[in-house]
Amino acid sequence: MSVIGIDLGTTNSVVATVRDGQVIVVPAAHGGYLHPSVVSFSPEGLKYFSREAVARRIVDPKNTVFSGKRLIGLSFRSKEVQKAMTRLPYDLREGNNEQAVFVGPDRTYTIPEVSGLLLGYLRQCAELYLGDTVTGAVITVPANFNDAQRRATIDAGRIAGLDVLRVLNEPTAAALAYGLGQNMSQRIAVFDFGGGTFDVTVLQVEGDVFEVLATGGDSFLGGDDMDTTLLNILAELFRAEHGIDPRNEQMAHARLLIAAEQVKCHLSDYSEARGELKNIAVSNTGEHLALRFHIARNVFETAIRGLVARTIQTTQEVLASVELGPSQIDEVIMVGGTTRVPLVRAEVERYFGRAPRVDLNPDEVVAWGAAIQAENLAHAGDSLANNAVLLDVTPRALGIAVTGGFAERILDRNVPVPVEQTRVFTTSADNQTTVRIQVCQGESRRFDENVPLGELELSGIPATRRGDVSIEVTFRVDTNGILRVRARDAATGAAREAAVNVRGGMSDSEVAEAVERQKSSEMPIDSSLLPEIEV
Amino acid sequence: MPGRSQEDLARFVEQMWDKLDQLSYFDLLGLHTGATVTEIRAAFYRVSHDLHPDRYHRIDNREMKDRLETIYARMCEGYRVLTTPEKRNSYMRLLGEGKKRLTSTDREPRGPQRPEDSIKHEEAKKFFRLGMISLGSKDYKGAAMNFNFAKSFEPNSAVIKQKLAEAQAGLGKPGGPGNR
Ligand SMILES: Nc1ncnc2c1ncn2[C@@H]1O[C@H](COP(=O)(O)OP(=O)(O)OP(=O)(O)O)[C@@H](O)[C@H]1O
Ligand SMILES: [Mg+2]
Repeated sequence: MSVIGIDLGTTNSVVATVRDGQVIVVPAAHGGYLHPSVVSFSPEGLKYFSREAVARRIVDPKNTVFSGKRLIGLSFRSKEVQKAMTRLPYDLREGNNEQAVFVGPDRTYTIPEVSGLLLGYLRQCAELYLGDTVTGAVITVPANFNDAQRRATIDAGRIAGLDVLRVLNEPTAAALAYGLGQNMSQRIAVFDFGGGTFDVTVLQVEGDVFEVLATGGDSFLGGDDMDTTLLNILAELFRAEHGIDPRNEQMAHARLLIAAEQVKCHLSDYSEARGELKNIAVSNTGEHLALRFHIARNVFETAIRGLVARTIQTTQEVLASVELGPSQIDEVIMVGGTTRVPLVRAEVERYFGRAPRVDLNPDEVVAWGAAIQAENLAHAGDSLANNAVLLDVTPRALGIAVTGGFAERILDRNVPVPVEQTRVFTTSADNQTTVRIQVCQGESRRFDENVPLGELELSGIPATRRGDVSIEVTFRVDTNGILRVRARDAATGAAREAAVNVRGGMSDSEVAEAVERQKSSEMPIDSSLLPEIEV
Repeated sequence: MPGRSQEDLARFVEQMWDKLDQLSYFDLLGLHTGATVTEIRAAFYRVSHDLHPDRYHRIDNREMKDRLETIYARMCEGYRVLTTPEKRNSYMRLLGEGKKRLTSTDREPRGPQRPEDSIKHEEAKKFFRLGMISLGSKDYKGAAMNFNFAKSFEPNSAVIKQKLAEAQAGLGKPGGPGNR
């Protein structure tokens, strides 16, 4: 029985494990080590994964889900989901409890279910490669993922038949892979710029202790945005030449987006990109129109400068939050495919006044750390565990609604986890026998400027005058970054402990159902596509 | 050192549990009240090696795990308080009154607190924060630019106007930006 580490990315996922003290990365079907995070569905209930699913983004865009990580754990009504929907070719609609559900050709799927299918596929890839069953996994998430996003990721793992040993922050995983066994004493910054998210984390590494000092980021900033920028450039070129906007046609849009990404990657290595895309549209006269393009790197750089500037601003804010300047960082570790863009490297170097480390594979380093941590947890307490200690922090402040439209903060941002704090509140009306505790995340003093997370109800409070009741509300965030709220009526001792009923999340019974469904419908993957394990 | 054995941990929890609220952060971390930040960090790293939840991940006694986590969480709290100068100051005062914890109730009163809290528009807020960072590093030009952006989103905010004036005053100083 093995345990694995999974970097579940917006664009690509990577799976690794530790064998005899060495990290090995599970190869992807059709070569390489990146498994595209794409799942495609057929009306017959078939599922396609990875590279095969990518191919179906063009021929069957409505039934092919990509960038699921941008949706996971968010309420359908959130502005993020609403905004994403304007750009995604597949359909989403509102399901139970404000969940965003994907409208598939055979039925609807919740987002954790879609991710669960993908994780199940990755588990099978690992099992085939390792020749062993995989029982548990550490799954990485962006450091600024909130409680709901973390819970949804755990649900996805469970649906895939995995025991989720831990959700681990991606930068912490990268730091672990970088520093373990090096016996170093350094302050490092992990600059992670992936497909869908950006974050930056400052850590102190002292021997085998990895202490996160501060972290921050933008869950809606990534290489995808550069693709969109380039897509617009390409579309405008086409429109200028033919007077037709190819973005209005789904298939053309999908093709342009894929071309945009290729152009972007090409421009990381060359100073210009030229090419031709045939049959982008058909003219009034029935003529097939092609797009010829020639884009210089500096045109691209001008277009993405604003995106890159946002990463540097965020970096500056994160450092400022712990009163550090760029010169006080000993080493900068680059993680994520988007750090290959030369402008990104140049701006990071300019800001820190030193060249970032690019010798660690930016695609794999997170999965390496996840694998190491999975091994650690599976062997906790025995001699096979190494002694690494990961000291992580809360990504957001957490609080509850109080009268006057204010939010009363209970936990600060960037404090070490686990953390537990209790505050005492009282009722606001006479004879009030029930209190609803509305939980939110964010730093603002005003409740409605924060993100509502969910709520908890404490009932059976003895009817009495307002203000005579004391209710203790305890927040605890564990090392997974998961919040638990406990409310207790101090007089009666009646306690109510519950996971906050998270808006947009699956209920326990829905998860249990999905686990069963997946177990019974899982199909063996085509092993001929996978390379054999090397001895 | 592969952590403590389960029996050791059980004994430790039993010992600590009832008196947890009577222990100061210094007691918990095994420090004297004059400990330096370096000493506090070293002590915290030491207890983390033994008591971090990863260490007892495989123990299935839920109650014991839960209690261990509570004890360790208190140590984390102590670490954060004692290594943050203003928090440590407040804590030393409380300790004088016989209290053992600095809870969030002992913190700031309710109501707008940070300067940007009165700003409503998200973009205005963002630029305002950036302006504050520039102001902090005496980059008056950058600060004025950011406050101006902020003002374009929320023209009537008093705090934006005030900070903009500050930045402009900085700009006007003889010797130019960054040279006071
Ligand atoms: N050579 C390259 N030049 C520019 N961009 C690249 C290059 N190679 C990969 N990318 C981009 O990197 C992104 C994928 O990076 P990565 O695999 O690290 O993201 P991810 O882990 O899936 O996403 P996230 O971490 O945001 O969840 C894509 O946008 C991809 O186009
Ligand atoms: Mg990533």
